[in-house]
Amino acid sequence: MNLEFTDDQRLLFETVDQAVGRGYPAGGRAAATGSELGWSDQVWQTLGELGLTGLTVSADHDGAGAGPVEVYTSLAAMGKHAAAEPLLDGVYLPSWLIAELGTAEQAGQLLPQLAAGSTTIAVAHAEPGRPWGLAPATTAAADGSLTGVKSPVRNADQADRFLVTAVDETGRTGVYLVEATAGGITRADGRAADWGHTSQVEFAGTPAARLGDGAADAALRMAFSRARVAITAEAIGLMEAGLAMTVEYLKTRKQFGVPLATFQALVHRAVDVYSRVELARSMALWATAVIEAHDNGGAVDLPGTADDAFVFVADVATAVAEEIVQLHGGIGMTYESDVAHHAARLIAITESFGGVSSARRRAIASEALLVAPSALLGNATSAAP
Amino acid sequence: MDLELSPADREFRDGLREVFLGKIPEDVRRRSTLGRTTREDIVTSQRVLNQHGLAVPHWPREWGGRGWTPTQSHLYSAELQRAGIPQPLAFNVSMVGPIIAEFGSAEQKRKFLPATANLDIWWSQGFSEPEAGSDLAGLRTTARRDGDHYVLNGQKTWTTLGQYGDWMFVLARTDPDAPRKQQGLSFLLLDLNTPGVERRPIRLIDGSAEVNEFFFDDVRLPVENLVGEENKGWSYAKFLLGNERNGIAQIGASQRIYADLAAAATRRPTEDGPLAGDPQFRAALHRVKTTLLALEATQLRVTAASENGKASPVSSLLKLEGTQALQELSLLRMRAAGSDGMLLDTEAPLPSGEAAAVSAAQYLNLRKLSIFGGSNEIQRGVIAKTILGL
Ligand SMILES: Cc1cc2nc3c(=O)[nH]c(=O)nc-3n(C[C@H](O)[C@H](O)[C@H](O)COP(=O)(O)OP(=O)(O)OC[C@H]3O[C@@H](n4cnc5c(N)ncnc54)[C@H](O)[C@@H]3O)c2cc1C
Repeated sequence: MNLEFTDDQRLLFETVDQAVGRGYPAGGRAAATGSELGWSDQVWQTLGELGLTGLTVSADHDGAGAGPVEVYTSLAAMGKHAAAEPLLDGVYLPSWLIAELGTAEQAGQLLPQLAAGSTTIAVAHAEPGRPWGLAPATTAAADGSLTGVKSPVRNADQADRFLVTAVDETGRTGVYLVEATAGGITRADGRAADWGHTSQVEFAGTPAARLGDGAADAALRMAFSRARVAITAEAIGLMEAGLAMTVEYLKTRKQFGVPLATFQALVHRAVDVYSRVELARSMALWATAVIEAHDNGGAVDLPGTADDAFVFVADVATAVAEEIVQLHGGIGMTYESDVAHHAARLIAITESFGGVSSARRRAIASEALLVAPSALLGNATSAAP
Repeated sequence: MDLELSPADREFRDGLREVFLGKIPEDVRRRSTLGRTTREDIVTSQRVLNQHGLAVPHWPREWGGRGWTPTQSHLYSAELQRAGIPQPLAFNVSMVGPIIAEFGSAEQKRKFLPATANLDIWWSQGFSEPEAGSDLAGLRTTARRDGDHYVLNGQKTWTTLGQYGDWMFVLARTDPDAPRKQQGLSFLLLDLNTPGVERRPIRLIDGSAEVNEFFFDDVRLPVENLVGEENKGWSYAKFLLGNERNGIAQIGASQRIYADLAAAATRRPTEDGPLAGDPQFRAALHRVKTTLLALEATQLRVTAASENGKASPVSSLLKLEGTQALQELSLLRMRAAGSDGMLLDTEAPLPSGEAAAVSAAQYLNLRKLSIFGGSNEIQRGVIAKTILGL
């Protein structure tokens, strides 16, 4: 029973932390998201050299074949600097879908490119005004061509390809591979609340190739569940850094002739931020360990775990985002301050992969809700009298 | 990372369950889960545990300790609480016992430790005073040296279960001229049958009388009942309060209440079917569920950290968040019981069951969790200072 990192995993965190930290000095996120690319090319190169783009790709396809703990450590380190490179949405998430659904040929073509960091793929599932959990309104014709609107699609402006969810003529949901240069694509680019690049992408009879030929529902559920847990790690990194900035600010900012840290009301609020973050960290690590157990063949409820963890971390992230801005006063409201970018990214995370409301809906509908919870595997059936 | 118990730990846990569920009488456990534990229940269960070497596992080995790993200690308190067993009396096993074992004389150890483990002596904690709560070092009770005796004068209050107390460990001022108020305090052992001791019950918000006040009027106690050195009482008290905080998160107890609450909600009718189907109730339950998972995972992390020999500063957080979770559960349980739960005491049989009928009393009673053991505001102060450097 153990929720700590191994030495290798700790080393991975430190390596990514240092590498990304060099590329993200003060104002780093504002500069990166404001650039044409939407992130830092130099940091992206470094991430590729460190092998991070290949983390979730198997060794057969030139990747590292690493597990969920490595995903956690790398994303926590990215979060610490509010780094904008699309590791999760542009590489990890598509790699999970391709590995699960793709033919050997598709996997053989796409995975090594993802692993090398030479391409990114945007996963286009959300549709405007339509609940995440419903089958898509986007349709696939008999010849595979797609028609429909997807939004928001993160970093679609830089993606070489899209993975688009659509329903075919028989009513099955599938995942379709589309070249970004294919005909019949209209893109309207914009910014998300965290200034990340995001687009609405419209497909009108766009040529596409289906990933494999089985039903995609289960694979989508698993991949998005993994993504929900992975993004909690980024949130932990963001909150940890946001708290550190806030503590520092309370110590140095003077009002009424004394540091803000003299005021107990503020100190206690900072402590509540700390304790919520610490609990959220435990929750994120726990969910990561459950995924690891799943990958080792354990009988665990991966989607349920992901929903529980995502909801908890998202609620904490919201509270922390609000508090770190409040405790910085006016300066926290400015685009120039790092704390504002950390807060905005945290809020964007709460709406990722279907968002906190839909995750909560699933979680409270689940039968597992009425069983006393235990973080220890197989310990839930209790000794209760 | 690994969430699986090792086979050895699982076997260890099953052994605990055998004793907890097989050897502690069922009616003792039932009253305990209803918050209606009697003095006899506490004595009975502690003696059974002691027979099986399970009353004082964290003491030094020669006095009944087991030398368990942190994981085993974690399983012990979690399983004990989950089984709904009255906790071994904290004043005996977590407070005065470890102090005597660490700082007491050989004579004191012989005289007190076996009797303390077996609850042949019921100890009370005499720290707080009307003018010394969070600021405990401001206490005024004096112990003046007079030959072979100390003469005790003053007042102690909030003494939990002091009505059953045979002995009390008292923090008293032995040097009124010490430069700092933390200095000049001593840790004394007082036989509560000594002349000059008066005790009075204090009624609490739920109508119960689990706390008392004590008045000392020229009470004479022999100097051999001084623990450790004279005027060093503050450091022993701090050692003790550190022990008090561990386990105060009571995650196992929360898990048990959660299970009971969920089961009760499937039976409790509302206008729209069972309460367990109500989305608002389910959302509130989910919030507690995830908090309990996060707390247990935090506890496991703290356990792992101390396994490497480092003490973790996160125990203040466990006190803070664990007590809030338990209080929130008690609110949920009272809300779930509705008007049936408003009864503080009743002979009438209720369809919603006994647990519902005590839910308001339990809710009110558990407000204490964030006040005692170092109030939650004091814990925030500790975290601010030791962890955040604020
Ligand atoms: C049910 C119960 C059982 C108890 N059992 C025992 C026992 O067996 N033996 C024993 O010795 N004592 C016992 N206590 C006493 C307990 O330890 C004290 O109540 C506690 O230390 C708080 O002290 P106080 O009640 O004087 O409150 P105060 O210290 O007066 O505090 C009042 C409020 O102010 C807050 N506060 C105080 N100081 C600060 C500060 N510096 N910063 C911010 N907020 C602050 C507190 O958190 C609290 O909310 C018990 C108390 C209760 C309620």
